[in-house]
Amino acid sequence: MNERVAIVGYKQTKHTVDSPVARERMIYELVKSLYHDMGITKDDIDTFVLASNDFTDGRTISEVFMVPRIGAYMKDETKVEADGLNAALYAYLRILSGLYNTALVIGFSMAGSEFRVPLTQAYTMDPAYERPRGLINFYSTAALQAGAYMKKYRFSDEDLAQLTLKNIRNANNNPFAARKEPDASVDTILGSRPLYLPLRQAHVSTYADGACAVVLSSKKTAKKFTDKPVWIDGVGHVMDTYYVGDRDLLAMNHLTAAAKKAYKMAGIKNPKKEIDLAEIHTNFASEEPVLAEAMGLFKPGSGKDVVKNGESAITGALPVNPSGGPLGANPINATGLIRLAEASAQLRKEAGQNQIKGAKTAVVHAQDGPGAQLNTVFIVRR
Amino acid sequence: MTEETRIIESTWDLTAYQFKIEADALNLFVKGLKDKKILGRKCRVCGTVYVPGPTYCRKCLVDIDQVVEVSQEGRLDAFTVSLADVRGKPVENPFISCTVKLDGTDSFLMGVLEGWTDWRSVKEGMRVKVVFKDVTQGALADLSHFQLI
Repeated sequence: MNERVAIVGYKQTKHTVDSPVARERMIYELVKSLYHDMGITKDDIDTFVLASNDFTDGRTISEVFMVPRIGAYMKDETKVEADGLNAALYAYLRILSGLYNTALVIGFSMAGSEFRVPLTQAYTMDPAYERPRGLINFYSTAALQAGAYMKKYRFSDEDLAQLTLKNIRNANNNPFAARKEPDASVDTILGSRPLYLPLRQAHVSTYADGACAVVLSSKKTAKKFTDKPVWIDGVGHVMDTYYVGDRDLLAMNHLTAAAKKAYKMAGIKNPKKEIDLAEIHTNFASEEPVLAEAMGLFKPGSGKDVVKNGESAITGALPVNPSGGPLGANPINATGLIRLAEASAQLRKEAGQNQIKGAKTAVVHAQDGPGAQLNTVFIVRR
Repeated sequence: MTEETRIIESTWDLTAYQFKIEADALNLFVKGLKDKKILGRKCRVCGTVYVPGPTYCRKCLVDIDQVVEVSQEGRLDAFTVSLADVRGKPVENPFISCTVKLDGTDSFLMGVLEGWTDWRSVKEGMRVKVVFKDVTQGALADLSHFQLI
């Protein structure tokens, strides 16, 4: 058995809405350059875990053509049909088992250019009740949740625009983000194309072509790879029922449960005080207060104050998505893993213009399913 | 359908997807076929000759830039007498699908085997040669079949 697992290397592509190369070349180049940066070869990796989705890739067993491109030829490999942070969870467990000391985790997607995200996501809805009527999809679910939050906590369209702007500005300074809107303002956000009110185009994450790779190692071998390991000290993974009609979209009790598991494991008693930053997987800007509050990072319903006081800004008491989050780039399946990479960058003081001073502990979140039906939470520390 | 189940009409719009593929590898192969040549790529590190040639070596994880023209003769590796299509429907004219290892290469090409009358006389290890279509267009179908020598 291994006792502790660290992130010893990470890299993401420069995400775009129309990749100049095919996905195979994209991940080949990403992984090769990660190995090069780390001064290792594929032979240093014991097991490979990929994240992809057949319904977003448009082909079954969607990782098979990728496997040789990451150096897994004649090696041990598996895949999760979910976000890359879940792949990291698999890899973490594999290393804990003691059977492996190192793992490469990779998530990738061509969500920017190869498929229509809302349409393909709609195929994942419940086939008996939800699909036939075509009312419920990822967008409308998020809009129902956003509307409920805004009504209950008097979170205005302007508040939502401010929150969106915070993320767009962070993304503007993130060299990997696909979305670059230096001229964005509350007015441009309020005036953007309405989709499912209160949601507008500006609130939607930026579906992108991109990939992210992370190398995990046991404590035993971590020193061999880096003198800046980022330790995974807590994990939690909880899902709610898939049928949207059975869920309380505002309460998000399953996310609270996942976060509590991770906090308990990491010995965190007061997340708001002990955590220095959060990287949260939001598919829509409106999810940020809902998810952050469910994770105990802010008081329930305090979204309005958090926005007003700048608490979640890079300079605030508890920055949320200093990278810009998925609003900057959402290459589905890589998105949660990117949160882990971005948090690692912060803890290793490698976050460039978006660097938070003295960050030691981060919470990382990923979701899957409509309205964050499935949630994964990591606590990482330097 | 039984009393316990019910059928719901459902569709999956495959036009929701488009696929970018790596152009270099396929382009090289079909360009060769147009000229009635078999082109592959050779890894400078391990010497593996791939046909069709990918742009990287699966074994070494390095780019492959060395294009090689390979022999149009080789060895019958394995074959199956195709009596049914993918839906299980019998085919009117049974044919042999086979894999062939062209001399000097490390990968197998799949194709149709011709030049036999009784499939029982076909044996693994027999020599074969590539036969192109008379008029080639730069497409995978330019490789018509493998002929027993």
